[in-house]
Amino acid sequence: MGMSISAEQNAAAVAAAVTASEEAWSALGVVAEAVNHSAGHGFAFLRLTVPAPHVLTVAKGLKHDMGVNYCSMVTGTHFPEGDEHRGWEVAYHLQRMPVINPDPNTSHVLVAGDLSGMSMPIEIEMLVPLPQGDDPRVPSVQSVWRGADWNEKETWDLVGIKFDGHENMFRVLNPHDSPEGFHPLQKQHKIRYHDFNEMYDDAQGFVRKPVDEGRVK
Amino acid sequence: MAKMWITMGPQHPMTHGLWTLRVQVDGETVVDAEAELGYIHRGVEKIAEARDFTQVTPYCDRLCYVSAMTWSNSYIYAAEDLLEVEVPERAEYIRCISAECQRIASHLMWLGAYGPDVGNLTIMTWALREREMFLDLLQELGGSRMHYNYPRIGGVKRDIPPGWADRLIAKVKLFEKRIDEYEMLLDESTIFLVRLQGVGYATAENMVESGVSGPNVRASGVNYDVRWSHPYSVYDQLDWEPAVEKPTSVKGSDCYDRYRVRMEEMRMSCRMILDAIEKIPGGKNTTYSNGDEMIIAKAPTRAPAGATGFSNYECTRGASQFYVHGGGEGRGKNPYRLSIRSPMFITIPFVAETMIGYKVADIPAIMGSFDPCIGETDR
Amino acid sequence: MSDPGQNYAAFNSSALLDFVGDVTDESLKATRLKQFLSVLAGRFFNWAGRKSLFTLHLGIKCCAIEMAASAIPRFDAERFGVIFRSSPRQSDVLLVNGPVSKKFADPIVRLWEQMPEPKYCIAMGECAISGGPYFQSYNILEGVDTVIPVDVYIPGCPPRPEALIDGFGLLREKIIRIGGAPDAGRAGEKPLIVGED
Repeated sequence: MGMSISAEQNAAAVAAAVTASEEAWSALGVVAEAVNHSAGHGFAFLRLTVPAPHVLTVAKGLKHDMGVNYCSMVTGTHFPEGDEHRGWEVAYHLQRMPVINPDPNTSHVLVAGDLSGMSMPIEIEMLVPLPQGDDPRVPSVQSVWRGADWNEKETWDLVGIKFDGHENMFRVLNPHDSPEGFHPLQKQHKIRYHDFNEMYDDAQGFVRKPVDEGRVK
Repeated sequence: MAKMWITMGPQHPMTHGLWTLRVQVDGETVVDAEAELGYIHRGVEKIAEARDFTQVTPYCDRLCYVSAMTWSNSYIYAAEDLLEVEVPERAEYIRCISAECQRIASHLMWLGAYGPDVGNLTIMTWALREREMFLDLLQELGGSRMHYNYPRIGGVKRDIPPGWADRLIAKVKLFEKRIDEYEMLLDESTIFLVRLQGVGYATAENMVESGVSGPNVRASGVNYDVRWSHPYSVYDQLDWEPAVEKPTSVKGSDCYDRYRVRMEEMRMSCRMILDAIEKIPGGKNTTYSNGDEMIIAKAPTRAPAGATGFSNYECTRGASQFYVHGGGEGRGKNPYRLSIRSPMFITIPFVAETMIGYKVADIPAIMGSFDPCIGETDR
Repeated sequence: MSDPGQNYAAFNSSALLDFVGDVTDESLKATRLKQFLSVLAGRFFNWAGRKSLFTLHLGIKCCAIEMAASAIPRFDAERFGVIFRSSPRQSDVLLVNGPVSKKFADPIVRLWEQMPEPKYCIAMGECAISGGPYFQSYNILEGVDTVIPVDVYIPGCPPRPEALIDGFGLLREKIIRIGGAPDAGRAGEKPLIVGED
C-alpha cells in the first residue's frame, strides 16, 4: 500500500534509459525501445538490440554510466529456420538494483516513492542476434558482471554459443565426459521417444527397452 | 602445513542436495573452494519444448521442490505475459496467499535442515511439525503435499474450499506464537550463536555484483525486493514491508543475520496472509466452482513465433525469472524455448567463495545459511 | 560386482558355526542340534536385521523431502528402526529418491558397492522407478534399476511418507523370505511394488 513503485515512476525511468541509450549507442546500430509487459501490471522494460561486435561496449556503458549492476540471466536460442542474420540469439536479462552497502548496524531502506533517476530499479533485455551457421560467437561479458560468469558457462554447455574471452570455460550441467560438440538445446537434437505415437501405443512402457540398461558395470 | 583438497561429495548429509563442494584446506583453514553441479540436471528446458504451456506447470513445481508453489507461479506469470492474459483479482489474491504459505513452509524446511547442521536437532522436529500445518492447507488447495500443479494460465485450478480461510487464520495465528518458541530455543543457545555469528561475511554490493538476490541480500541491510520494485499479483495492495537485517560489520552480514532475516520473513508472510485473506474479493467464505470467471480467465493456447514472455518473481531463495519464446511445435502450442533463471545457480559459486578464510567446521554453517536447493540449480 | 567370499555381515548363521568350530560341529551333527541352532540363529539375525534397517543419508530430489518428512514426529519412521546413516559402509538400505542422471550413475553404483551385504535397494518415486516425468530427458537414466538391482518400488510423485513406511514394511516381509544371504535368494524374487494388491 503505497510502498511499491508505481507505473508512472517506472515508465519515466525506462524512458530516461531509452534516451540515454540512444544518445550513447545509436551510432553503433543499437536499437533501444521501451516495451511493456503484456500482463500483470504492464510495467515497462528497456529492450536493446545490439549487434554482436558491440556487446562489450554496450555492456561497459550500461554498467558504468547507467548503473546496471546485476546480470541475472543469459539465454541462448537456436533458430535454424530463422532469418539469415538471426540464426542464434543471445538474450541478456539485466537489472539495475539500487543497492549500496549500508554502514554497520544500520540498514539502507529504500522508499519507493523517493526513488528517481539512477536509483530507480529497471529491467533491461539485451538481445544479440547472431548469423546463421555452425559457429555462433559473442564477446564475453564475464569481466563486466561477475554474475554473468556461470550463466555464460551454462549457455555454452546447453546451447553451444561460444563466448570469446571467457576464462575457464567448462561444462556445468552436462557431465564432463559429454561428447565434444554435444549441446542438447540445439534444435537438431530430439528428446527421447520424440515420436509421441509410440508413447500412446505403449503408455506403460512394457515394450520399449531403456537405452541405458547396463550402462555402468 | 600441507594443503589438501577435501571432496564433500554428492552424497553428503549436510550439503542440502546433490552437489560436490571441493575445499582446499591448509590445516583447518579453507583456502580455496569450488562447486560442482549437474548431478540432477534433468533437461527441463528441453523437455518443455515438447509439452503444452499447461503441461509445463508440473515441471516447474519440481524445479525447487521445497517451494513448489512459488516456482509454478513464476512460470505462469511468464506464460501469461506471452499469451497476453488478464487474470481475475480473486485468483491473484489466492496465488498471493498460497505463495506466502509456501514461503513459510520453505523457510521452515530450511530451519529444520539448518539446525541439525549446526548441532540443534530439536528445531528439526519443531519446524517440520509446523511445516505439516501449512502443507495440509496447501494440500486442500492443490491435492498433494509437495507438488500442487495449482496455478493455471489465467487463474487457478480451483477455488479455496469452504472453511479453508478459518483454518488458515487459526493456523497462522498459532504459528506466530511458535516462531517465538523457535527464537527462544535458538537465540538463547550459546552454541548456536557462537557457530553463526562472525562467520560467513558477505556485503550487499558484492552479492548483487555476483548475481545473488533475495533474503541473502536483505540480510545485508538493503530492503530490495522484487515484490515492490516490479510488483506483480496484489503485493502493492497489501500492508507489508520486506524483512531487513542490519549487517553487523563493514565486512557485511554474517550467518546469524541471514538466519534472522528468514525468521522475520516468516513473520511478515504471516502478516501478509492475514491481511490478504480479509481483502480477498468475493469474500473468504465463498467458494466458486471450477472454471468460474472469478478464479480463471479464458486464455489462448497458442503463441505466435516471435512473441516472448518474461517474468520476474520473488521466489523463496531469490529472484527467479522465466523467459519463454512462442512458436514451438504443434503450431505454437508448445514453447519454442523456455529459459529458467535459478537464483541458487548463481549463489552456489558465491557461497563457495564466501567460505574462504574460515575453518572447516564453519562450512556447514555458511552453506546452510544461504539456503541452497539443488533442484532449481540443476534444472 | 561384489566380491563373493568376504561377507562382512556377522549376522550369518554359517559364520557363527564356523566360529564354534569343527569339533563341536561333528558332535552337533550327531545330535541334529546343528540344524536346530542354525535355524534359530538364522531367525534371530534375520529378526535383528529387518527390525533395524539403516538407510543411507542420500537425498537426490523431491522424494528426499518426503523421506525427511517420514522421520518427523508426525509419521515417525524411527519407531520401525529406520535410522539414517551418513556412511554407506554402515547402512543396509539404499533408498534412491530421485532421478539418476548420467553424472550420478557412477557415484550411485559406487555407493551401492560400498555397502556391505546384506543390502537392499528401494526405488522411491517415479523418477527412480522409470525416469518419471523426465523419461524423455537426454541426461536421466530410465530408472535406477538399469544400474542397481531394486527390491521394492514405491510409486508416487512424491509418495506420501506413509507409502514410504509401507515400502519398508514390504521390504521386511521380503527379508523374512530371502534371509541373510540376499544375493542368492534374490534371483527368483518378483520385485515388490507398494499398492500392488
